[in-house]
Amino acid sequence: MSETTDAVTATGAPEDVSVPSSTHVGRRAILGLAAVGAAGIAFGTQIDSSLGGALTTVSNALGGLPIPGADEWRIYTVTGSIPTIAPATYRLTVNGMVDHPLTLSIDDLRAMKRTTLMHYFQCVTGWRVPSVRWEGVQLSEVLDRAGVQPGATALRFFSGDGVYTESLTLTQARLPEVLVADRMIGDDVTPEHGGPVRMYVAPMYGYKSTKWLDRIELVNEVVPGYWENYGYAVNGWIGGSE
Amino acid sequence: MSPAGKRRGKHYGPIERFDKVERAVHWSTAILMLELIVTGAILYLPTLALAVGHRGFIETLHVYSGIALVVPITVGVAGPWREKLVADLRRFDRWTKADWDWFHRKERRSGAPAGKFNGGQKAEAAFVGGGIIVMLATGVLMRFAPASWINWQQGATLVHDVGFFAIGVGVAGHIYYALSRPEQLKSMLSGTIPRAWATKNTPAWVAEVDADADQKLDALVARASVVDSTQAPPQVGVTSKI
Repeated sequence: MSETTDAVTATGAPEDVSVPSSTHVGRRAILGLAAVGAAGIAFGTQIDSSLGGALTTVSNALGGLPIPGADEWRIYTVTGSIPTIAPATYRLTVNGMVDHPLTLSIDDLRAMKRTTLMHYFQCVTGWRVPSVRWEGVQLSEVLDRAGVQPGATALRFFSGDGVYTESLTLTQARLPEVLVADRMIGDDVTPEHGGPVRMYVAPMYGYKSTKWLDRIELVNEVVPGYWENYGYAVNGWIGGSE
Repeated sequence: MSPAGKRRGKHYGPIERFDKVERAVHWSTAILMLELIVTGAILYLPTLALAVGHRGFIETLHVYSGIALVVPITVGVAGPWREKLVADLRRFDRWTKADWDWFHRKERRSGAPAGKFNGGQKAEAAFVGGGIIVMLATGVLMRFAPASWINWQQGATLVHDVGFFAIGVGVAGHIYYALSRPEQLKSMLSGTIPRAWATKNTPAWVAEVDADADQKLDALVARASVVDSTQAPPQVGVTSKI
């Protein structure tokens, strides 16, 4: 073994070899990061609302790169793919505890009383898209046409993806801001957004707005939907207000 | 200085850099971290979210892996096996002149002897440590905050999104450095590092390790003298040339 590389001669006591003037930089850095994170939690909403528009412009310029804070849609699916449903053959079924079970085409929906809402889309995980234009038919119009039978107290929503389900009470379903939407952001609802027809439940988190709406069933008790079985609130009011 | 101190001489052989506990903590954290990055990317990046879907399963996996991420380090520092791990955490905390030197170009360095970890490694450790705290706190807020905390939740989402990119860069840098420095990567697998490497790159640490070994030897010699003054000094893992 050579003297210079393979062996070292220890000289002096341990305190002599420790380097002096060391400081607790590591824990300060960790505390600093935690403080930045806490500030982000506290002021993130303000940052989002003041910079969201500008960040969205940048995000779009970068081909839809998800820049944190941009007012971007995040497309969620619970199955392996997005259902492709031809608008021409689409039918919305309304059945269960109703006097007149319905099968509505898009033309049927467009012939009914139309409602337009300008309202944000709020996800339960904390992202939001402001000022979205929603067009369609109030769910209460559809319910009146089907004739809700006495004893029906709740609705079940079934998605065309074959897996997703949702629920509303009959009272919630009759709120004026609850739409069966066939147009969104000034265009037909795209497959990513749940087209050709989706729910839009304005006062509640996004998961309450079933995409690829296939069937609405009137029942006599609330049956928790897909995310509700994962622990999310059955009454998904935004901000938790009743 | 005890008379035994005079026996100090050369030390040979590879040096233990990470004990079993540290390696177990490192690799279990690493596996969880990679899984979190993959599942996080699927949840966050639109292209991947659409390609993979199955959001309920992926989200559950991500959330509980994230909570599990703090288990290895917590178990590591909680038991009687903590000694080496805690010693290294202290090293990460304390910054010496040599650590700040690491950020300078060679000609501007002070020449202070480098300890076990350099400034870059200490910065990475603080970044990952702080990052885990921030991601855990914001992640828990995103998933489990009461609905009335909606503004903080939105802030948490923003921070978590920024953190995704920051941690991605941090981990990519960590893996890059590990792969381009095979001795150090091997030491995280086998536990030891060649003495020649350590003497060249981390002289202050080698001096520390050898002084520590000498001290243990002294203690054993002192004890042996009491038992039997004629007995030869016992071996303690280093060969001490008298």
